Amino acid sequence: MRTPRPAPNVVLLILALVGLTAWLGLESVSVAANRIVPGTGYRVVEVIGGGALLVTTLPWLALAGLAWRPSRTRFIVALVIVVLMLSALPAWLALSAAMLVEGGQARLGIAAGLWVVFFLLLLAMIELRTRLALSRLVGWALLLPPVAIVGLGVARWLSALALWQEYRSRSDQFLGALGEHLLLVGAAVGASLVLGVGLALAMRRWPGLQRVGFGVLNFLQTIPSIALFGLLLAPLAWLSAQVGWLAALGVSGIGWAPALLALVGYSLLPMVRNTFVALEAVDPGVIDAARGMGMSRSQVFRQVRLPLALPVILEGIRITTVQAIGLTAVAALIGAGGLGTFIFQGLGQAAMDLVLLGALPILVLALLVDALLGALTDILRPGVAE
Amino acid sequence: MVEWRRWRVPLGWLALLLAATLGMGQLEGVFRWIESDSRQVIYARADFLTLLGRHLLVVSVAAVLAILVGVGGAIAATRRWGRDFLPLVSQLASIGQTFPPVAVLALAVPVLGFGTLPIIVALLLYGLLPIVRNTLAGLEGIDPGVMEAARGMGMSPSQILRQVELPLAAPVILAGVRTSVTINIATAAIGATVGASNLGDPIISGIVNGNTAYVVQGALLIGLLAISVDSFFARLPLASAH
Repeated sequence: MRTPRPAPNVVLLILALVGLTAWLGLESVSVAANRIVPGTGYRVVEVIGGGALLVTTLPWLALAGLAWRPSRTRFIVALVIVVLMLSALPAWLALSAAMLVEGGQARLGIAAGLWVVFFLLLLAMIELRTRLALSRLVGWALLLPPVAIVGLGVARWLSALALWQEYRSRSDQFLGALGEHLLLVGAAVGASLVLGVGLALAMRRWPGLQRVGFGVLNFLQTIPSIALFGLLLAPLAWLSAQVGWLAALGVSGIGWAPALLALVGYSLLPMVRNTFVALEAVDPGVIDAARGMGMSRSQVFRQVRLPLALPVILEGIRITTVQAIGLTAVAALIGAGGLGTFIFQGLGQAAMDLVLLGALPILVLALLVDALLGALTDILRPGVAE
Repeated sequence: MVEWRRWRVPLGWLALLLAATLGMGQLEGVFRWIESDSRQVIYARADFLTLLGRHLLVVSVAAVLAILVGVGGAIAATRRWGRDFLPLVSQLASIGQTFPPVAVLALAVPVLGFGTLPIIVALLLYGLLPIVRNTLAGLEGIDPGVMEAARGMGMSPSQILRQVELPLAAPVILAGVRTSVTINIATAAIGATVGASNLGDPIISGIVNGNTAYVVQGALLIGLLAISVDSFFARLPLASAH
């Protein structure tokens, strides 16, 4: 008896073939004389010629081949290939820079083809991670080699990269904006945590408050951020004109004050909802048992209810933080600073690399916070044995 | 009569939105008081009705496409021939939710250029995620016993899909559409910074020129629009079933 041949993994197969097509057919990098003019795109074959191009198709074909008759070992090999390919992308950029960029002002941009390839490789990685049932943490660890290579090589070999040039010309500003961004997010999440837990406890004590409370918070969540920032502008400007100590604190219609207020407003709904649900959902039997053991009310709350509710509360903090990171970017419009400043400056100057300098860190920040708090929630979830 | 009562609140918001759109000029006195230094206190580069229309157009085009692609994709991923894609699609839908809408919008511009197109594409991409996630959750959450019974009655797969799966999953799918549209109304407003002209325009122009009255006018209309649309969704018969 022969064992039946496994069916091809269609997903990986398609990813590999589409990736190969994008690698061959789309413009991979672009070179621009300065930061404003649109660059000239180059396909891979125009950078390294036909012979070398054939060599670069090999890993794609290998992936497709491994997907054709999949097995666990083959998936592991495929995963290694994907990680190697991701690590090779910075090297490809360095090579292109060496071949194409001449002169101090010229800069290398990443064109559509390379973004598509990058994205498809990430998809392939997620697919393989899922098929191999690897934990999320391992998935993130697999990204370390490519990130490390970028980190080590960027100053030396990738200095022509447009994104890096944008960063270098305003590195102090960038760090300042990053700090502002984190400070605003931290302050908003911190304030909404305190207020949210307080509100959730009050709702448990006075059930009448639930309807009104959730009604108001839901309503607030519906209002678009840019509108809320705008609507806060006039009253806050008026307040700071009337009340001296508020003006002394730096409160005004634009800046951090309306941003923080709006951020806390948006953060309250997920925070209150999760805290409330978490505290309500604790099994009454467990509470009875704790009471039966002679625990006092406050002991029951601190030692039983709160620890059991903690994972869901943390989930609320995670949602809130990720949401706040994105909303803070919008707050740059009303002068609150943060990484959004680069996005809107870049859009205003039609300098796309500046837009990327703002948008990419925001994206990375959101993913990072999501991953870290997600991992923390998993660790704290009771009943999950190590 | 009962039917009419259900829609009272959303119609009230809608009436308020229309009144504010058409009657903004009448409120000149109020805005003159807010912004006493400026010569002009009513945004006049385009009339508010046009801006509202463009805003609605962009959001609805993106929403219709997102519903077609999202629900279609999720249905395909839950069929037997599409099962291979299910893990990737559901992972992607949950990871994608982490992406801030502004970042997605900003990243669409370098690729697609300025104007209305990048906004529609960004809204479509971003709007897909909640729809896909909820459609998957709705279809996967159906009691296997119900499916078994439908098959036992001799229904064909397409009959099961149309008469059993979709009706049962509809409330969850609709909740996803609601989330998607709410986020997109907000994101479209930010699209004014990348050259689309919609209700975000007065806000951006007001911030740039330091004219608080413009900002308040834009913010008011966007707020009312979002609330009207959301309260319509909240009262759809299917949504209340869940």
